[in-house]
Amino acid sequence: MLLSLRWLSRYVDLSDLDATRIADDLTMATAEVDGLEVSGEALREIVVGHVVECGKHPDADKLSLTKIDDGSGELLQVVCGAPNVAQGQRIAFCRVGVNVPVDGKKLKKGKIRGLESLGMICSARELGLSEDHTGILVLDTEAAPGTRLTDVLPLSDTLIEIDNKSVTHRPDLWGHYGFARELAAIYERPLKDALEGLSLDVPTRGDTVPIAIDASRGACSRYCGVVIRDVVIGPSPDWMQQLLVAIGARPRNNIVDLTNWLQFDLGQPTHAFDLDRLAGPRIDVRFANEGESITTLDGQARALTTSDLLICDGNGPVALAGVMGGEGSMVEEGTTSVLLESANFDAATVRRTSMRLGLRTDSSARFEKSLDPALAELTARKFLAMLPEVAPGARVAGPIVDPASWAYEPRHVHLRLPRVSSLLGVAIDESAARGFLEPLGFTLREKGYESFDVTIPSWRATKDIAIEEDLVEEIGRCFRYDAIEPVAPRAPVDALHRDPELALDERVRTVCAYDLGLHEVYNYSFLDDALCERLGLAGFSYVQVTNAIASHLSRVRRDVLPSLLGSVTDNFRSRDDVALFEVGNGYRPESPGEARAFSSADGDAHERVLPLEVHQLAALRVVRGGEHPYRRLRGDFETLLARLGVNAADVRVPTSEEASTLPWMHPARTAVFVTKAGEVLGYVGDVHPRTVRALDLDFAVRKGPTGGAAACCLDLRACLAAPVVALRYVPVPRFPSQPVDLAFLVDDAVRAGDVGRLIEDANPKFVRRHQLFEVYRGKGLPDGKKSLNFRVELGSDKRTLNAEDEERYLDRIRNLCRERGFELRG
Amino acid sequence: MEDQLRSIVDRAHEAARTASDVAALAAVESSFLGKKGELTLLLRGLGALPKEERPAFGKLVNEAKVRLEELLADRSRDLESVALEAALGGDGFDPTEPGLEVSHGSLHPITQITRELVRVFEGLGFAAARGPEVEFEHFNFDALNIPASHPARDTQDTFWLSDGNLLRTHTSPVQVRAMERFGAPLRVIAPGRCFRNEAVDATHEHTFYQMEGLMIDRDISVANLIHVMKTCLREILGREVRIRLRPGFFPFVEPGFELDVHDPFGTGEDRWLELLPCGMVHPNVLRAGGLDPEEWTGFAFGLGLQRLVMIRYGITDIRDFTGGDLRFLEQFGRV
Repeated sequence: MLLSLRWLSRYVDLSDLDATRIADDLTMATAEVDGLEVSGEALREIVVGHVVECGKHPDADKLSLTKIDDGSGELLQVVCGAPNVAQGQRIAFCRVGVNVPVDGKKLKKGKIRGLESLGMICSARELGLSEDHTGILVLDTEAAPGTRLTDVLPLSDTLIEIDNKSVTHRPDLWGHYGFARELAAIYERPLKDALEGLSLDVPTRGDTVPIAIDASRGACSRYCGVVIRDVVIGPSPDWMQQLLVAIGARPRNNIVDLTNWLQFDLGQPTHAFDLDRLAGPRIDVRFANEGESITTLDGQARALTTSDLLICDGNGPVALAGVMGGEGSMVEEGTTSVLLESANFDAATVRRTSMRLGLRTDSSARFEKSLDPALAELTARKFLAMLPEVAPGARVAGPIVDPASWAYEPRHVHLRLPRVSSLLGVAIDESAARGFLEPLGFTLREKGYESFDVTIPSWRATKDIAIEEDLVEEIGRCFRYDAIEPVAPRAPVDALHRDPELALDERVRTVCAYDLGLHEVYNYSFLDDALCERLGLAGFSYVQVTNAIASHLSRVRRDVLPSLLGSVTDNFRSRDDVALFEVGNGYRPESPGEARAFSSADGDAHERVLPLEVHQLAALRVVRGGEHPYRRLRGDFETLLARLGVNAADVRVPTSEEASTLPWMHPARTAVFVTKAGEVLGYVGDVHPRTVRALDLDFAVRKGPTGGAAACCLDLRACLAAPVVALRYVPVPRFPSQPVDLAFLVDDAVRAGDVGRLIEDANPKFVRRHQLFEVYRGKGLPDGKKSLNFRVELGSDKRTLNAEDEERYLDRIRNLCRERGFELRG
Repeated sequence: MEDQLRSIVDRAHEAARTASDVAALAAVESSFLGKKGELTLLLRGLGALPKEERPAFGKLVNEAKVRLEELLADRSRDLESVALEAALGGDGFDPTEPGLEVSHGSLHPITQITRELVRVFEGLGFAAARGPEVEFEHFNFDALNIPASHPARDTQDTFWLSDGNLLRTHTSPVQVRAMERFGAPLRVIAPGRCFRNEAVDATHEHTFYQMEGLMIDRDISVANLIHVMKTCLREILGREVRIRLRPGFFPFVEPGFELDVHDPFGTGEDRWLELLPCGMVHPNVLRAGGLDPEEWTGFAFGLGLQRLVMIRYGITDIRDFTGGDLRFLEQFGRV
């Protein structure tokens, strides 16, 4: 929204103030100023010219040949096409080489119908002052030729651009008058009345149009209508056109310009109907019926729904209330009778219609803010009072019809100064409070010690000021927040602890990045349809976004790993080794998560359920060439569990049901880690060959030393629930360890974990640790067999073990092997 | 024979002194002290002397032998040391040749800034909390004084879900959740992912990261808010900063502010940058959290994390934060 400094100056004296200072003060006390713009810059090179001679162009009837004195000391020959040019006039002159204000193009020396033209006599439109292009602008001045036009006409203006978002809560700030009130308060200056200098006699009887309001849904709290006769449509006064142009509005005709001007002046939209084109004539304010439609004055036919509020005449809709007028009844050339509408429409109703139709107008933007119904009448009165100047001869034909009989019942708010001081952190006394509030229209009546009954002016009462804190804001912003000295809060009595899940999350990320050497990735929570299809995940149920950013991003992911798999492929353009992790959430719509009962505004209780939220770490290693990364990642996963102090009681392949929920994992080459209670902590394994191919990573399908793809997932909530193994000190062994290498020849189906247990069971006291260092298949071994090669450390905390101890241990191993059908090699 | 001894000793010492390396020295040792060495032979030839002269001469020879052995040992140490020094001369060692590349990981820059902020606010007595990203309409809007008809529901461009819930549009829902859970007094921060239905370009994202802050106690004031904000920004930016509060409207605070930082990049420019919205918690929000606004007051603020990271590292495209491009991620491996 643009504010004109000249416009503001109609209501408050700002003549001694620098625009930058005004902008700063508005920003600090009222609303955010986005920028300042000085208008009239384009006019700086335009000068006053004197038409010394004026005659007919010898070769063209409609052109005049003039001699212009532009103060340069030389008379310039200029060809002019305007009908109203005449000798002796003072005119606005654009010299050759100067930019024409309206389009910024440099004026060139011209030749018109064979005669040289050395400049241009400008129309108001060419100067960018109004739409008037019927003739040249004739200046009412005796200024010497060559004088700058801006010194003669009050054309220079400063425009203040207000960030609309910063005034959405202030219905009173959608016109110049509201800002003038703020500036008057800021600079402690008098504010002129909105009607000052205007006199008004509205007849008490006469021509009226009947108005009926459907009050059932409270969508129209007020509708003022008044009949105006003997209208002559023509241009509005220059000053009005100039102000409209300055703030970016296009002048049209006197009646329409006046409604527009008032919208930017007081913030109240009004609408002028051509009365002769209204059937009845009568006005009904009602909601649309099913199947109704209207053609708005932008020429668009619009289908209506029963939530759209309409202005109707005897035949049907003539305007979308508060949004846009209808095409059939607009004021234009030839209109002689006008019905002026100045009404108050419900914010939510106007907003709903304007959003639904995608039709945002200056009018709807204002009604959406909950305008003050008192403003409807004030604006109608100001319209009528300005009519004699704007549309000379027009006559107010009857009283203002205002059937809703709205009256402001003043709102009261209790204000306690100690509360103000305590909330702001500065002492505010009575005179300060009055000094800030009264200029803004509040009245204070003492009600006990340091306590006041504050009457809220109607223009702040629609939604803006309702509670004491709202008044604290008024006082605070007038005091200026930047004048409040910082004060340290009192020290806390109790320390709160970091959320345990966040704490675990932090440890997991630290281990992954700085211990395992993985790079952290952030992916969207949305699962791209293309990736979903490629990984074969379309069959699952997803939390669905109803208004997705793009149609392919409507699914909310169930798991983190598929997103992470989607981050792999592109990296192989620039490297052969990708190691990534991501920590994030997934959502499972089929499983209920948090459930809560809420009561709505009308007291109805309703139950709501969130989908189950899972909090996961996903990690992967994909390499091109060399060994398959499964064992590496398996080691990463085990390291992570060890770092967290979480122990898996069992490790197994996924059940077929589990495998079906993890279609991106190899069903037979995935290890699922399970707690004693049977909770799944996570899994690590080969990425499914189908998935690997789907991601265009064919090299990573397991077949010899071409590389591979391994992935893992850890459920953070399951980790949090799992019993943590307390870290206990174990005395450092005083007697040395004795390494023994054992090679077990076993069937392929035998699990290394079982052999490991056998190694421990053979003598739990002596086995300090053991490690599987090789799994060998192939040459030298029978088919279907493998060799599991372990290094075992034997030791005792009582003595150094001798050869006999070792021999006894090996005997026990041999016996156990015999029982299990294993063979101890070598 | 004494002359012979003297001559042998002189020559042996001369040879030992002039031996240029360990091998030469070994040759000296062998030619004088070896099995057929001159001194050995001399000792062996002792029998040719008259009996009474033998002990005295034998002693002389033995003393000469010991002296020679000591000299040889000294020389040997010297020569070895010289040889070692010589060997240290390096064989084309290039100090600029880099080491083997070690594979290392990295934390995402948003994780890093989150940690930094959490550390700063934990120092100020705030505890980190979390809330769900798929959120009830209640906590995201109603409880925050944003009723159904409120325009803020549109301007926030909410992603609505088919089950009637939504993707949270800010971290503010954690305010009321934390009040419900912990009561007052309360100092809590909540970093996390938020969503708004906004077209993506170099400076806009539909997925973004915020950190909510909330402090509730008796008599918390705007003056306290200014103090805490000044303190935390000083910690984050590592220098004293000028800040200013100006009016800003957010339904869940009253009064509400925009907080601007002066000279945000520390380059000396005279400019205010709008950094974060904040305000005094609206009484309706306190009530929604089960607290009596007459007894408790508080302030809340929201920090945009991408913004902070972009300011800090000069990142120009917000889209780089999302996805697994290692060429971006690897840049943030510093600990």
